[in-house]
Amino acid sequence: MITKLLILPLFFAVTFTGNKQQNSMAAADHSGTLKITFINTVKGEPIQLNTGNYTNPFAEVYSISKFKYYISDVTLSSSGINFRQQESYHLIDENNSASLSFSFSLTTNTYQSISFLLGVDSIKNVSGAQTGDLDPLNDMFWTWNSGYIMAKMEGKSLQSKVVNNKVEFHIGGFSGTHNVLKKLQFNFSANQILQIKKDGLSEIIIQADFDTWWQNPNDIRIAETPICSVPGALAKKIADNYSNMFTIKNVINH
Amino acid sequence: MLSIIKLKSRIIIWLCTGIILFIFLVGAGKKTSITQQLDAPENPIYLEFKIPAGWPKPPANIYANNRLTEQGFQLGKKLFYDGRLSKDGHFPCASCHQQFAAFANYDHDFSHGFKDAFTTRNAPALFNLAWMTKLHWDGGINHIEVQPLGPLTSVIEMAETLDSVLYKLKKDSVYPKLFKAAFGTTEINSQRMLKAIAQFTGSIISANSKYDKVQRGEAKFTLSEENGFALFKTKCAPCHKEPLFTDNSFRNNGLSVNPFLKDYGRQRITNDKNDSLKFKVPSLRNIMLTFPYMHDGRLYSLSAVIDHYRSGLITTQPTLDPLLVNRIPISNNEKNELLYFLNTLTDTSMTKAARFAQ
Repeated sequence: MITKLLILPLFFAVTFTGNKQQNSMAAADHSGTLKITFINTVKGEPIQLNTGNYTNPFAEVYSISKFKYYISDVTLSSSGINFRQQESYHLIDENNSASLSFSFSLTTNTYQSISFLLGVDSIKNVSGAQTGDLDPLNDMFWTWNSGYIMAKMEGKSLQSKVVNNKVEFHIGGFSGTHNVLKKLQFNFSANQILQIKKDGLSEIIIQADFDTWWQNPNDIRIAETPICSVPGALAKKIADNYSNMFTIKNVINH
Repeated sequence: MLSIIKLKSRIIIWLCTGIILFIFLVGAGKKTSITQQLDAPENPIYLEFKIPAGWPKPPANIYANNRLTEQGFQLGKKLFYDGRLSKDGHFPCASCHQQFAAFANYDHDFSHGFKDAFTTRNAPALFNLAWMTKLHWDGGINHIEVQPLGPLTSVIEMAETLDSVLYKLKKDSVYPKLFKAAFGTTEINSQRMLKAIAQFTGSIISANSKYDKVQRGEAKFTLSEENGFALFKTKCAPCHKEPLFTDNSFRNNGLSVNPFLKDYGRQRITNDKNDSLKFKVPSLRNIMLTFPYMHDGRLYSLSAVIDHYRSGLITTQPTLDPLLVNRIPISNNEKNELLYFLNTLTDTSMTKAARFAQ
């Protein structure tokens, strides 16, 4: 028992030291914490899973039961120097409030932009069994055509003629012509100053609006394509649309 | 008088209780120490992945992030043979991958799954997987570790969910200890389970058939086998390349489309019409044990397979492999000699190895 008691704190100590090294953006002496929070919306209003009724640009009414996507390779840029979070893979799941924010330590600095990948990079798609946010338990990994679903929406609409009026967009594909990965960069506006202070906490609030999935540049009508469950042309069209879903709403230096 | 008896009996009761309690505590103490011993991290016994002499290096190191240990291998083997990985307990990995059939499904075109379902393709043999960059007939699986997710969650195979399998393993009395032995802590998660299974399946090497012994100078072909080998090199080897007896490519070998399955093979994975009706070239090692043949197990004998290549195959499909446009001319005598040679590819030292057995 005593050995167990001794091992436990030792284990945690090792684990946390390991994590700190992984987030090697931060030099231990000169770092603060950056928290990134995602707010998932439809036309600016927070998503109401299952209960909300929404209308897309083609006057098709639908509801949303699942909305989740991967954010990876989060990188902050200061005067042209990139500070990259190591092992940066985050599953943002509207159904799991704990997943909507993540924090990591970052070197004290003033930053002008943030970039991230919407999806999971190709290497991780071909590197075998993963854990944490990349665990296949999260229902974001295809079992018959190996690879991650980068973003997923499920819901219902009377305009869908498939079983139970399902609407399902499982968007994935990481190689060649099927690649749906989107590297997105956002410059902070003049009134959004991200200043990481020593031992301080700053927060970036990012809005993800589902309404963008339906158009610009590609019109996606439920009546025509209620289901997308494989990599390919349709997935690419939807991904082109959803690459516009993010807006930096606010930057707060607490 | 009565009270003395009462007192005596009370003393006896207390004494007995004390003794029982003492035994219990000592026993419990012992039990704890036994548990601790089992829980204590074991020294990993590292295993070397040995590439058979003269073989090419595998295209990628499947154990780069999954160092082979005896403990990991043994855990993977237990999982491979454990029916609890399936929903109703009847379908371990081994139900479709039988050792005596070179880990294919003996005498089954399709395999049985949950609720009397049939699979839609012939269960492939499992050996020399480290040389295979893409698994399954259509190459849809890109890493050995993630392969089990397919059959495990398929409603016509093991029909389970990852959640449920992990729950069963966690509440088992033995598995937490085995996971600790293999991975350092008792934590059971999907990554560890999949890595352990890969340690077992990837370790199944078949490189000790008569053919291999001849190559190493330890045995000699008979005249018929020798002739068959020469024929093999000109007629079969372009696709069934030595020493793995496959080039791991995807080809259309001119089979008609099964009207029930309408299986177009690799096209489903790549969405490319040029891949229509292409399936993986299987290894010919242990071919005598892995019947029936082809992706849907439609041919029950090697004689029928050779007949397919010399006279049966459809030459009008646009994606037919260029090597097959004129079929493969093989005389009856050549066919017999080829069969003699193919017989030399059976590796009973693998199919009977206690190390891979349940």
